[in-house]
Amino acid sequence: MKCGGFRVSYRADERIFDTILPIVGVVALLAVLCVVPRFATTYWLDVLNRIGIAIIGALGLNILIGYTGQISIGHAAFLAVGAYSTGILEVNVGLPFYLAIPLAAVITSGFGLIFGIPSLRLRGLYLAIATLAAHFITTFVIVHWESTTKGVLGLMVPPATVFGLPLDSDARVFYLIFALVAPAILFTKNLFRTKVGRAFIAIRDRDVAASVMGVNLLRYKLLAFVISSFYAGVAGGLMAHHSRILFPDSFTLLVAIDYLAMIIIGGLGSILGSIFGAVFMTVLPEVLKLTATSLTGVYPQAFGLIASTRDVVFGLAVIFFLMYEPQGLARIWVRIRSYWQLWPYSY
Amino acid sequence: MRRVYGPLARFVLVGLLAASVGAAPAEAQNVIKLGNLVDLTGPTSDQGKDIAQGRTDAVQYINERGGVNGKKLELVSVEYGFQPPRAVAAYKKFVEEDKVLLVLGYGTPDTEALRPYITKDKIPYLSGSYSGHLTDPRQTPYNFPGGIDYTSQIRIFLNYVKETWKDASRNPRVAFIYADNAYGRAPIESGRAYAKEVGVDLVDEEIIPTILTDATSQLLTMKKKDPDFAYINTNTQWVPVVLKDSYKLGLKTKYVVNNYGLDERTPSLAGPAAEGVVGIQDVAYWGDSVPGMKILMEFHQKHHGTDTHASPYMRGWLWVIVAAEAIKRAGNNPTGESIKNALESFKEFDTWGITPPFTYTNEDHRPTNRARLVMIQGSKIVPMREVSVDRSMKWIGK
Amino acid sequence: MNEQLVFMLQLIITGIAVGGVYSLMALGFVLIFKASSVVNFGPGELVLFGAYVSWATILQMKLPLPVALLVTLLVAIGLGIVIERGVLRPLIGHPIISVIMVTFGFASVIRGVLNMTWGSDTRPFPVLFSPEPFHLGPVPVSPVHLWSFVSVLILLAAFSLFFRFSKTGMAMRATADNQQVALSLGISVKWIFALSWCIATVVSALSGIILGSVRGGVDFSLADLGLKVFPVVILGGLDSVAGAIIGGVLIGVLENLSGGYLDPIFGGGVKEVAPFVALVIILMIRPYGLFGKVEIERV
Repeated sequence: MKCGGFRVSYRADERIFDTILPIVGVVALLAVLCVVPRFATTYWLDVLNRIGIAIIGALGLNILIGYTGQISIGHAAFLAVGAYSTGILEVNVGLPFYLAIPLAAVITSGFGLIFGIPSLRLRGLYLAIATLAAHFITTFVIVHWESTTKGVLGLMVPPATVFGLPLDSDARVFYLIFALVAPAILFTKNLFRTKVGRAFIAIRDRDVAASVMGVNLLRYKLLAFVISSFYAGVAGGLMAHHSRILFPDSFTLLVAIDYLAMIIIGGLGSILGSIFGAVFMTVLPEVLKLTATSLTGVYPQAFGLIASTRDVVFGLAVIFFLMYEPQGLARIWVRIRSYWQLWPYSY
Repeated sequence: MRRVYGPLARFVLVGLLAASVGAAPAEAQNVIKLGNLVDLTGPTSDQGKDIAQGRTDAVQYINERGGVNGKKLELVSVEYGFQPPRAVAAYKKFVEEDKVLLVLGYGTPDTEALRPYITKDKIPYLSGSYSGHLTDPRQTPYNFPGGIDYTSQIRIFLNYVKETWKDASRNPRVAFIYADNAYGRAPIESGRAYAKEVGVDLVDEEIIPTILTDATSQLLTMKKKDPDFAYINTNTQWVPVVLKDSYKLGLKTKYVVNNYGLDERTPSLAGPAAEGVVGIQDVAYWGDSVPGMKILMEFHQKHHGTDTHASPYMRGWLWVIVAAEAIKRAGNNPTGESIKNALESFKEFDTWGITPPFTYTNEDHRPTNRARLVMIQGSKIVPMREVSVDRSMKWIGK
Repeated sequence: MNEQLVFMLQLIITGIAVGGVYSLMALGFVLIFKASSVVNFGPGELVLFGAYVSWATILQMKLPLPVALLVTLLVAIGLGIVIERGVLRPLIGHPIISVIMVTFGFASVIRGVLNMTWGSDTRPFPVLFSPEPFHLGPVPVSPVHLWSFVSVLILLAAFSLFFRFSKTGMAMRATADNQQVALSLGISVKWIFALSWCIATVVSALSGIILGSVRGGVDFSLADLGLKVFPVVILGGLDSVAGAIIGGVLIGVLENLSGGYLDPIFGGGVKEVAPFVALVIILMIRPYGLFGKVEIERV
């Protein structure tokens, strides 16, 4: 019986799916996803949509932080640029969504390029603080450039139309979102078997050594920011179509922290981790809400108490994962999987 | 630790499933569900706490007396931290899963964001936001502000300025000080137009941001224009800061604050800076001698006598009273639409004296055009006089 | 004096006064960084904690003022120990992103716990300082701001002396420099970490008291001010006590000047964003700030 990874050619080593089983699994999952909108309520579709958007955003952030080792707290700003660009391109310029979203993503990448420049001179902590500043500056521009963004009054985005069919319900937007999630995941997986991906990982591990080996730090660090913000731009554009009204308040620093939590709890440097983290961080508040609502039915006076548990639970979850499982849910998953795979020799 | 993970994962999964199943729509036909949006952790949480408590108490009070038309009211409460996306998600759940018949809304940005949804779903939305943009049934047939709208309030302010101004040699000068968000901005455009109409010079506008350390630079800039009066339309917690900084700078400007900005706590928060400040009172203060106050105070005493309450608490009760009456008028099988029609049948509806009587019509969703001016004197809020503005259709929806 | 000059002077002096408060908050931040190289991304919550606890001891429990202040400081010390022992200790050696996230984590926990305990409505803060302004020439200054500035100066002096001359102070500097060498010299690094966190929480609690007095009330928006700490410490240098003070004052002045002159042009909001623009500029030309240690953080 084959033990571990038994590969006999470069081609086999580079394959994304080793065996038939994962491919079958993925196809089955896609089939299930196609059918879900028929059965799920709007509420759960909304949650799934938000998970889908979060997956794309988290993948982007993980590329930057998990794989390339650059710290950024500015992800909310990139999402905002993507979302508002999409909205403005559709409302003011009249582009259809299949042009607006990619174009918005390109604009966001440009943005990422600009904010990636400090990463060439700053590392770690200082970069984090610089991206924090970027966030506030971006928010300021969005709020005050009212003629274009409508500032605090909110920018309404018309529904995307596909062959005349407006995507104005969660069920329909679901297809749009997940039609983009699948390629996003595939692209990311592919990225890390190419030269670019390997360069990113090298930069994360030891950038000075990488540059000695011939990895052009300037080029690849900027590229990491560009790619990461492209993802954020796409996610932002999808947000624009999902909620159809954009407020500066939808992109606060808390959003950036949520995404950071996603990739840390999910697992840095892991695609599966990004997915798990996205699911976890989106579903957690919903579970808390459901618990709060059902408890409030029984103890109405306790509503205030229960409502503030969200912050506590979030904080404790982050602390718990960082202390006991720093490699996140992905690691837990791997452990569970290998436990079953190697049973009864689970050591 | 490792051995725990498998079973732990399974436990969590089962728990999640159970929670989702458990939250399936309730079977009861004897319960009428109301969606309830509150901010308890965000920037308006100081108001939100009392509002939530007021709503909860009012519902409990009504249920203790048999409910409405024999059915109990149930609040489906969601805390959304003043983040519009969370409000939108909560709304979808209200409509799809909980099948609420009415939503007790909260803040201006989320109320305005949900306008198209509630119109499509035909769910009446009784909001804590009194934005003028919600008052025109032609544009927003299902939105019902729960009190005198901000545009009417700014017109009250300008009328007050005009009445109090005695110097015939020039027009009075005013300034608007408002918050950098949808709530703060709501009445400003109408305010500018109305100022022109009544012959008051708007000389300055100052914006108060969401994160405030102190308002000195804004007030210094305002001082250069030397306004005689200024209208404050900011988040509640900044009002004392603005007043105190103004006091420190020795500004002679007289302030008028909107309904949310000035309440029972302002005198103690702003100290001597609050002397002479005028407020627009939309709802009874705690302890005012109105018929309903006795009920509220008894209930409060019985259930949580150690808390203190301010006017947001009264608003919480008020909105539930209005909602309950509308549901009652809608008859035995209320729907969103029939409740909306019931609301529009309100003619001088007595809200237990907590506010001036409410009138909604199918052309005008402004509940009232009357309020009271109060002034802070000797660290107490002293009523001045009743005021009103005409229900001119010119200002509807603005 | 002509009007323009008076206007500018008022802005500057107010800026210095407000900057004093920023300096106080930044001091808490710098102390932690100086001793343990940990960046606290939740400074606002520590300030909030101080404000609420002092409010509770003075108004809720009605303790006499000196006792209340003492209790507040003791509770702050307790918090410092809890944070250091429970949360930061296990994360020594972990990548910096984890440490940053964990500070966000416990900031969230503190926030939630405070909300659960005391609720979110605005509580009027006891009047510790007279509201009557006193005048510095043509410029009125509120006593609160003056006192905060004075206390900042006192703390500056105290900490400078502490770090320069006392044994513990030198031990802290040694630990910040190189933990392993410090350990080999017999310094109990564990104690140093705990001590630095406790001092930081105490200083933050003081800022909370002062901010509560400035605002007149405590509510959760106090925590948002915490982020303003970053422009201050970047300007002053992440590990410099003097830098925190001077940085705070400079940022306060910058804020007010841009508020006074630029807000009318842009329609408001410039006051809040100006420190962050300054932050970016500083990071590009001189990342270690005015007084920070020159570390090679560039590539």
